[in-house]
Amino acid sequence: MKLRILLADDHEIVRRGLRSLLEKREGWEVCGEASDGREAIEKALELRPDVVIVDIGMPNLNGLDTTRQLVQLDPQFKVIVLTITDSDQVIREALDAGARGFVLKSDAARDLVTAVEALQNKRMFFTPRVNDLVLAGFLEKGHAVSRTEAPKLPTLTTREREITQLLAEGNSSKEVASLLNLSTKTVETHRSNIMRKLGFHSIRDLVVYAIKNNLIQIELPPPPSPKSPTGPTAS
Amino acid sequence: MAIRILLVDDHPIVRQGLKTLLEGRVGWEVIGEASDGAEAVEKARDLNPDVMVLDVTMPRMNGLEACRLLRRQSPQLEILFVTQHDSPQMMREAMDAGARGYVVKSNAARDLLAAVEAVSQHRVFTALNSRQATELH
Repeated sequence: MKLRILLADDHEIVRRGLRSLLEKREGWEVCGEASDGREAIEKALELRPDVVIVDIGMPNLNGLDTTRQLVQLDPQFKVIVLTITDSDQVIREALDAGARGFVLKSDAARDLVTAVEALQNKRMFFTPRVNDLVLAGFLEKGHAVSRTEAPKLPTLTTREREITQLLAEGNSSKEVASLLNLSTKTVETHRSNIMRKLGFHSIRDLVVYAIKNNLIQIELPPPPSPKSPTGPTAS
Repeated sequence: MAIRILLVDDHPIVRQGLKTLLEGRVGWEVIGEASDGAEAVEKARDLNPDVMVLDVTMPRMNGLEACRLLRRQSPQLEILFVTQHDSPQMMREAMDAGARGYVVKSNAARDLLAAVEAVSQHRVFTALNSRQATELH
């Protein structure tokens, strides 16, 4: 029986690359694709894949919240998170959300097949840096909080996180209502609650919060190239 | 028409996706790959491609700087940026650096083939999410 894999990434080019990599393995099949978190959840429930591969930075519903919701809906869903960053916070959130695999996009060509194999054999797979964190005991329950860690912000509900992401992405309350099948008034109420909980006064504050808490990812301008004495020089 | 293409992106998975799309066209061949701007400049010199598909944000040397160098080193080469930067300002910088085309990665599956065809014929091709694709003759 084929191993069935669902791919969720907002870039079709990336999905093509992942599909090309995974379908080289005999017995593996990409059974579906999704371009945002919401579609990923719908397709997962419809197709019941063996493994779901989820990009962290997707519009409408990001990869971490997609993972969280999938695992809450059915703990049998095995999710691998693909990310461009392996910061402590992202790693913790992915693990807290219930991901069983964590792979850096830059290393996906090398690590993803191994990650899927691990999940197929009922094991977990994380990049070496995550293993280091586990060894250091960061993920033990009740582990002492680092002195440098920021004070904990009030917890948003799942719905509030969804709405925060959509607002931070630039959607109006009316657009958010349409996307979530809610009334505009309900969205406005959630929005007020979110702003009050977090102590914010403007959408700009919300955008900054969303970025810091990995609800949305931003592409920064490219840094200037490092000066290399051995690099090519202009003719 | 045969087109020889060099792919430059720091993510192998993205390069693989671009390759599967491009090699679906009869006569188009991906003759090499590079994972940063410096390697792109070296490989362009060695392989002499017709078109380079180039990312912006890369380690060691970013795509804009590579493009400027390549304009001097390989004037016959046409450069098409395929990037996450959906920004008119970045597009202007890229075109000022000497590129012939600029498309956004999120729409690459839709725009890439037309863009490569256009730039291979020395026509400008640009497409942002906020704007319709533009091809100038």
